[in-house]
Amino acid sequence: MAQSNTIRILDGNTFVVSQDTGDIEATPSEPTGLFNLDTRFLSKWVLTVNGERLNALSYDDLQYYEARFFLVPGMATHYIDAKLSVIRERAVGGSFREQVTILNHDEKAVDLEVRMDAGSDFADLFEVKDEVLNKKGESYFEVEADRLRLGYRRGNFRRETVISASRPARYDKNGFAFSVHLEPNEEWDTSIEVDTFALGPGGRDLRMGLRAHGTERLALQHDLEEWIAKAPKVNSEHPELASTYRRSLIDLAALRFSPLSLGGQALPAAGLPWFMTMFGRDSIFTCLQVLPFVPDLSKTTLRILGAMQGTRFDDFRDEDPGRILHEMRYGESAAFEEQPHSPYYGSVDATPLFVILLDEYEKWTGDVALVHELERECRAALKWVDDYADLVGSGYIWYERRNSDTGLENQCWKDSWDSISYRDGTLPPFPRATCELQGYAYDAKIRAARLAREIWGDPAYADQLEREAAQLKERFNRDWWVEDGEYYALALDPEGRQCATLSSNIGHLLWSGIVDDDRAEKIAHHLVGPRLFTGWGVRTLAEGEVRYNPIGYHNGTIWPFDNSFIAWGLRRYGFAEEAGIIASGILDAARYFEGRLPEAFGGYRREQTKFPVEYPTACSPQAWSTGTPLLLLRTMLGLEPHEGHLAVEPMLPAGMGRIEVLDIPGRWGRVDAFARGRLEMDKLGD
Amino acid sequence: MVDQTTRFFEDLDRRGYEPLLAKISGTLRFDLHEGAQTSHWLLRVDRGELGVSREDREADTVVGTDPRFFGDMVAGGENAIAALLRGDMTVSGDLRLLLQVERIFPGPASSRGPRHEFRREAR
Repeated sequence: MAQSNTIRILDGNTFVVSQDTGDIEATPSEPTGLFNLDTRFLSKWVLTVNGERLNALSYDDLQYYEARFFLVPGMATHYIDAKLSVIRERAVGGSFREQVTILNHDEKAVDLEVRMDAGSDFADLFEVKDEVLNKKGESYFEVEADRLRLGYRRGNFRRETVISASRPARYDKNGFAFSVHLEPNEEWDTSIEVDTFALGPGGRDLRMGLRAHGTERLALQHDLEEWIAKAPKVNSEHPELASTYRRSLIDLAALRFSPLSLGGQALPAAGLPWFMTMFGRDSIFTCLQVLPFVPDLSKTTLRILGAMQGTRFDDFRDEDPGRILHEMRYGESAAFEEQPHSPYYGSVDATPLFVILLDEYEKWTGDVALVHELERECRAALKWVDDYADLVGSGYIWYERRNSDTGLENQCWKDSWDSISYRDGTLPPFPRATCELQGYAYDAKIRAARLAREIWGDPAYADQLEREAAQLKERFNRDWWVEDGEYYALALDPEGRQCATLSSNIGHLLWSGIVDDDRAEKIAHHLVGPRLFTGWGVRTLAEGEVRYNPIGYHNGTIWPFDNSFIAWGLRRYGFAEEAGIIASGILDAARYFEGRLPEAFGGYRREQTKFPVEYPTACSPQAWSTGTPLLLLRTMLGLEPHEGHLAVEPMLPAGMGRIEVLDIPGRWGRVDAFARGRLEMDKLGD
Repeated sequence: MVDQTTRFFEDLDRRGYEPLLAKISGTLRFDLHEGAQTSHWLLRVDRGELGVSREDREADTVVGTDPRFFGDMVAGGENAIAALLRGDMTVSGDLRLLLQVERIFPGPASSRGPRHEFRREAR
């Protein structure tokens, strides 16, 4: 597996991506840098000693927010004679701090010129993969006696990077330098602080007084320990399951993101490094995956998304009343409305998923207060489904962007331009309706009916929702069933014609419960059959379709998140063995990524490649991939809240051995679940 | 002639209750700077109950911008969140209050909302 050797550390919306020496030299193909608020604050950060670059002996990413690099001067072939070592230790947490330590191993004293080249292009995150040539604003710098200030200004928009060191240094516009004299076996160090500022008129920082959790290293350490201590414990005979679980928990902690505005509440951001921001869909799916383990994330996610729910028509942002946001960004392109992310509302699944998460959350936690608190938002979301999403008037959720310049064409989770096609490979016109959206709408109505009846005290609304859901299910099973393939079409075009391609989307339909009982077995067979299942997981698009490509982003790769919901859906309809096949395939794949599942990997047959081939530009860690092992655990153990208790009905593949999950939180207090692998997998999947 | 800002606040005052703000309470002062002159609008929200005055007094959130820009914004011509990111509007104090109140600003007058296929001309 070709793994890029970039090192990433982060805390919330601040992250550093560097080479394995700790240096940053940003290029379009290697977009390294220090990033905050979707802006690059350092694009150059290069350490030299006596004019020589340093080479990496090793590095440690100790925690998600800190890393350490062991370096020597000179070329790789000179290692052995190195008389100097250089250690760089860095951490993010509010600001970026780096400690540089130099050790003289020589028996002679040495005089060293230690220099850091520093620079910033203040690129917007949307620009970093292009040459940043034509910035509309102007750069400036101020060299002071004890600091270097790099800045960018465009109208009232101002971003600054301020660099200072604990020891006296000579600052110039391209960096700073120290003259160091070291006796034999003597060492020298300095700590460098890099602060980022988002300034408005009057020099006020946009983020004043807004910090999520403690930003000091010790506070971060404490916070992480507490996070892990609070979550259930997983013990397993399976060699990697427990460590995969732990890796996921830590990555989830790293991916917590506190939006600027909402008083330090955190929700899962979508993924490092390019998606450290609020995403409606990704945040909700991740919350659903991890609910049995870290329920609090759901509460804050629901509150934040509810507080940002659309209230008006705004065609540039694809905003409607009741719609749940898609993506929020804080960079220059959002500020100047060159991109619509302030916030952008162009997804059609986040809105029904919001309702689904609220119901699922209450089933686990019994937090009736939150269901009352968000009643209005829930009703507005359901009204959006009926009033604004049915663009064709056929009783389905459709999408067509109104922002035709910078809006998203495909507003479902498979959001790349060519993800939705007819059987002959051509792309349908707009509006489009994909199948899983109708499943979510169905599920949202069924779940909201429960909330209306049991909590809001509105049985008439509950009856209405159930009636509508039943009609939707009937309609859907009539219009979307592909007779000659015996599965559901990927999508409909505005004339009601089917995109009759076989795709992973049919697995989400099981999760939603919209599949007629007598058709579920056909769907289950497709999902573990040879056209969709590779041995590792379910492909986004079946082999044999015109657009199938094992490394096609949404046309053949395997998405771990997708598979976790498919497994959950299979379990819901009683296909525990098929769910087990998918769960063990994906967990096996996780081993090749040291427990950290990527966004997507290749849809090649397992026996063909022997290991899962990572999709080239996949983001990692990515929230809903991180949540995947947790949902698979839930699925295999058959954890289901039931009338105030936690039902446990394990169906584990034999190879899993014994698994125990201790202290599962919920309305029942804390409960343990035990399971032993019994399912013989070799009889299946043929 | 009554300007857009005055119309906006008078409308809020008349509305009395705004369900979109039912979860929040607090005061916001809008300082509209024009040269040496600053005019003030004070909006009081008490779990959705609204009250408007012209008082210049302490508030939980203080918003600063110029009167023309603010007039455009409350008429749907400018977006408050983009304006904040751009520095064309400043906030001190509780940003959350502004982000909730921002939701009752109208959308752009030119925005038509979803284009319903069945309402289109026959193709």
